[in-house]
Amino acid sequence: MTNFENMVICRCEEVTYGQLLSTAAEHKCTARELKLRTRAGMGFCGGRTCRVSVDKIIESVSPDITPGDIPLKYQPPVRPVTFGTVGEKK
Amino acid sequence: MSRILNHPIFGKINDRKQVSFQFDGKTYEAYENETIAAALLANDVRKLRVHEDSGTPRGFYCNIGHCMECRVTVNGQSNTRACLTVVQQDMVVESGKLLPNIIRRMVEEQ
Amino acid sequence: MSDVIIIGAGPAGLAGAIACAENGLRVTVVDEFIKPGGRLLGQLHQEPSGDWWNGIKEAERLHQNAMNLSVDIRCGVSVYNLEKCSQNWNVHTSIGTLTAPFVLIATGAAEYPVPVPGWTLPGVMSIGAAQVMTNVHRVQVGKKGIIIGANILAFAILNELQLAGINVERIVLPEKNPNSQKAGEPEEVLKSLLHASHLAPSPLLRFGSKFMKKDWIRKMGINFYPKNGIKINGTPLQLRKAALEVIGKDQVEGVRIADTDANGKVIPGTEKIYEADFVCIAGGLYPLAELAAVTGCPFHYVPELGGHVPSHSETMETPLDGLFVAGNITGIESGKIAMAQGITAGLSIAKHAGKGKNNINNKLQQAVQNIRTVRQNAAIQFNPDIDRGRSKMKQIWEDQHNNNNQTQEKIG
Repeated sequence: MTNFENMVICRCEEVTYGQLLSTAAEHKCTARELKLRTRAGMGFCGGRTCRVSVDKIIESVSPDITPGDIPLKYQPPVRPVTFGTVGEKK
Repeated sequence: MSRILNHPIFGKINDRKQVSFQFDGKTYEAYENETIAAALLANDVRKLRVHEDSGTPRGFYCNIGHCMECRVTVNGQSNTRACLTVVQQDMVVESGKLLPNIIRRMVEEQ
Repeated sequence: MSDVIIIGAGPAGLAGAIACAENGLRVTVVDEFIKPGGRLLGQLHQEPSGDWWNGIKEAERLHQNAMNLSVDIRCGVSVYNLEKCSQNWNVHTSIGTLTAPFVLIATGAAEYPVPVPGWTLPGVMSIGAAQVMTNVHRVQVGKKGIIIGANILAFAILNELQLAGINVERIVLPEKNPNSQKAGEPEEVLKSLLHASHLAPSPLLRFGSKFMKKDWIRKMGINFYPKNGIKINGTPLQLRKAALEVIGKDQVEGVRIADTDANGKVIPGTEKIYEADFVCIAGGLYPLAELAAVTGCPFHYVPELGGHVPSHSETMETPLDGLFVAGNITGIESGKIAMAQGITAGLSIAKHAGKGKNNINNKLQQAVQNIRTVRQNAAIQFNPDIDRGRSKMKQIWEDQHNNNNQTQEKIG
């Protein structure tokens, strides 16, 4: 037997494939809603590793989504920075 | 793991300066311009941290700064990427630790 | 203040910096890695001529040329945001905000993840991570490894690991699931490998294409593919085996693997644990375009280019004033293409900046032509349909400029 359901998709927040799939199926979510409900893609790396997988799950449960769309928005900071760096003074 | 000192195309590497550093209180040898992740792997250390909530072990994954899995504390600065940080003499490196999850504890105590 | 800020010191970024500086522009290059060169640093393969393509040497050459032209190169610097402010671009970095009227984004590619149960264990790494550890840091990634995923990138890096004396025991496929999709279907994988070797008989694939060109393999297809695989320079490529789970306590100890049918379905009762101390996951590359995305640059989905790419012209402009792109951010191709694109972007910036006098248009056209020539002679082709992808992008760009009612897809 495979371990699919317990397979970690989002490594930072340890969100599993099973969690993502059941949340997407239950709430018929958009990618953004799926992210907010499960925290997938909201961890330290900002979704850099799991984004593509989360997008694929959305595609597989929402027939309206075409692979051409970028389901998840990119937002700065695209790299983790300290408050000190963001609040730089000149 | 051993270092690849002899390579059929790249050739030999020699004359590199050695530096020593600490990881979780133990002293290790590295070569100059080596990243923390490379130096630790060369010393057979793969586990760089545990997941802050679940405690599962983690090491470097992408090795080029994208995945953030190799983050360690370097000279007191937390969340530093071991794969992009070069070892310096006497550097003090600490692995990423389990953090207390206050909310979970509150829920469990109820 | 610089005239141009280039994000990424790989082949595209450095070549772009050189072209800009040669035309009298002041250039700053920033890169997150500890030294310049980008993914050139890992590359090592034999050319059709028999010569070795040594990425480290190429990187050193570009770096030296850039230094000779007084290009300011800063490594260990992360860029976390990019925004336009009146006439200038603000590049927000870990060392402060840099400002210039022109920005070239040359951030390259990232690897497609292929989640496998147990892939968070230390010792599991992306195949690119193994390449960097081996060729750049010169540290062995392990004593006994298994690669999950069969594609051009995996073969290229397998060859590099073998050269460094690292033992890779086998290449297997990821288990078929909605996430691994075609990468977990033996028939599809064989088809794509045959396609690649047919269109680009690359020396990179020499070990692989030797077997792929055997007609009997073509004819018998996946149904009769040997259970124990066909050896690629000593490492069996096992298209009919799938990785079910990486196991280990504090680090990788092995991989649970099962036999599959031609469609990738696991055959019950065939599971076995194979010992390993490292696992490489090879999912292929996609354009790393997050910085273009935060600027609001329009994107297009072009699968032949590796995924979503920022809208760009043949001369590497984006629709945003002063913003240029080059290298793998525009589509997954070799380092040589990235260099040719970098030169084009550099000349394009020089033209927009009013540099290069009257022959700049000629130079720019030659540079565009040179990209095509390099592509035709390429030894490596990550996507056999690359030409189609490039024409699609060209068409989209031209349509947009002929018609402002374009249907462009904005992110968000």
